[in-house]
Amino acid sequence: MRPTVLQFDRITLPEETEALRVEVRQFLQDNAEHLSRPNSDFTTGHDPAFSRKLGQRGWIGMTWPKRYGGGERSFFDRYVVTEELLAAGAPVSAHWIADRQSGNLILSVGSEAQRERYLPPIARGESYFSIGMSEPNSGSDLASVRTRAERVEGGWLINGTKLWSTDAHRNHFMIALVRTEPPSDNRHAGLSQIIIDLREDGAVIRPIRNMAGGEDFNEVVFEDVLVPEDRVVGEPGNGWQQVTGELAYERSGPERFLSAFRVFVELVRVAAERGDPALRLPSAGSPPTSPRSGACPFPWPGCSNRARARRLKRRWSRRWETISRSCCRRSRASRPTTPSRRCPGSTVSGRRWRTRCCCRPLSRFVAAPGKSSAA
Amino acid sequence: MLTDAAGRIFADLCDKALLDAAERGEFPAALWRALEGNGFHQLAMPDSGGTLADAFALIGLGGRWGVPVPLAEVLLANRWIGGSDRLATIGQVLDGRIVEAPWGRRAHLVLGLDADRSAYVLVARDREAGAPLESGRNMAGEARDALAIPAGAEWVTLTEPAHAYLALARAVAMAGCLGRILDLSLQYANEREQFGRPIARFQAIQHNLAVMAGEVAAAGRAADAAVDALDGDRFELEVAVAKARVGEAAGVVAEIAHQVHGAMGYTHEHQLHHFTRRVWAWRDEYGNETYWQRRLGRHLIRTGADGLWPLLATRG
Repeated sequence: MRPTVLQFDRITLPEETEALRVEVRQFLQDNAEHLSRPNSDFTTGHDPAFSRKLGQRGWIGMTWPKRYGGGERSFFDRYVVTEELLAAGAPVSAHWIADRQSGNLILSVGSEAQRERYLPPIARGESYFSIGMSEPNSGSDLASVRTRAERVEGGWLINGTKLWSTDAHRNHFMIALVRTEPPSDNRHAGLSQIIIDLREDGAVIRPIRNMAGGEDFNEVVFEDVLVPEDRVVGEPGNGWQQVTGELAYERSGPERFLSAFRVFVELVRVAAERGDPALRLPSAGSPPTSPRSGACPFPWPGCSNRARARRLKRRWSRRWETISRSCCRRSRASRPTTPSRRCPGSTVSGRRWRTRCCCRPLSRFVAAPGKSSAA
Repeated sequence: MLTDAAGRIFADLCDKALLDAAERGEFPAALWRALEGNGFHQLAMPDSGGTLADAFALIGLGGRWGVPVPLAEVLLANRWIGGSDRLATIGQVLDGRIVEAPWGRRAHLVLGLDADRSAYVLVARDREAGAPLESGRNMAGEARDALAIPAGAEWVTLTEPAHAYLALARAVAMAGCLGRILDLSLQYANEREQFGRPIARFQAIQHNLAVMAGEVAAAGRAADAAVDALDGDRFELEVAVAKARVGEAAGVVAEIAHQVHGAMGYTHEHQLHHFTRRVWAWRDEYGNETYWQRRLGRHLIRTGADGLWPLLATRG
């Protein structure tokens, strides 16, 4: 049958998640003042007060161990919470990246000290992370990044430019993909990930205006920026494997199809208010009027859409009249000797169109009544 | 297990020669005997040991093989009339006739659904007497016949959502067929060489095959979700989604498949057309995408903007 990779089985969420869903909806009602501009586009709702409230409820870092501030809850639980927040258009931007990927990266490859230092503030909704991957010359080809980190006395000296870092101008930290060894034949070797303190380390951050007029993503320039030794996450040189793992967190989840959801909701609201005629059917629930449904463009014999067939016959009959009159005027002008000659007309809806010339009837376009089984 | 056994029958008997012959009007008698002999034609009957979901699985498998036996009609007709070992089919009543009945010319029993699909008229064809019948074909070359309804023919009320069942049958068959079209395209792209390499090595081809695969996956899930909803109170909503989504997928998949196959795929000799013509024909039967999208749209408006997310969040 279908190859396994294309076969999606029905998923039934555990019952506890339904109760959790209700809790989230209640929370959103209780904090409705944060939803004045509902927008499921999770990059535009930066609201530290809201993030802290979510953190207090235990809804950030839900799946992490409790000793790091997490809730040790299932990924199903996290899924339900995040999709309810996105569907409501809640302002989740501030903590979103940290919760979705940066924290998970630190949890999986970071040192114990890093986990203890960075994860609890993320889980409280107080600490926000940006992504440092793309560069002016490295987008799709991420392995070609050129920002380099050189080992020096006191730590790592960083030089280069990162681009499209969402909210770098507002967040606390960035995890940057940097080159720690010179390029070689293996272009995936020699990369590392390093934590940058966006407020303290001296990176220069410039917001970039997007085509909608907003300023969410940034250019971040490192010029001899020195960061302490303990900022490297995981193994130096293992950056490529780590970043591809991190990207799996980034590129999955309900945000990928819910980010336009509020637009759809408003569309339904508008359609209901305006009573779109395109949505009216002959009667609720009725099957299509012809066996092969969809518009029947011409009144072919056998077309069972009688009303449409009648309308089309009337339209063609008016055209036939126009064409026959115009050509007959010309013909009369050139042949004044046959005033009594009549054209064979085409019988349409009981009326006979007669002309004084030999116009060919357009009968092939117009079905005479009685000949169509639908009429 | 049921589908394994049926799959073996289809693999043995349902080759291109059979599809070509059926297109010429030759009923696939050996295939019918194999199905009927194994009781598959009665799989949707209450005491058969099979469920409606099994019946739809069989229909989906049949779609994958392009089976020229009208499985959906046979299964549902047997379910409604209490079983028959003779060929039964289903068409629609229009202007005093039953139309669009698959293999009406070969059937002993023809059910004609009324306009509301709430009842059917049962016509027992006495072929010896030569009851008047018009043989026709749909775009896929499948037999679609029409016959007069004799005076005094019996009408039976339906207690099941016949319209939704048949629409779902088409959706499920299409989903299976789309999977076959994807497989044919993958095979072709890996075998056909141009510029010194299989065309599957070109990124443009890969992108198109990826789009095709995504459509096949989505269509499959939509059809499956409707089958999953058979016993629930959202069944007709899910059928609307399934038929509309699968119909959309059919357009995209068939187009890309022909693009990938080039001129070869345009020939009658190549088997591709048997499958693309089927999905083109089936997407218009029992409601096209526009029809079902409008019904879905009306339902969503009745649900209201604020009811939209709760509706989606509680789909099975």
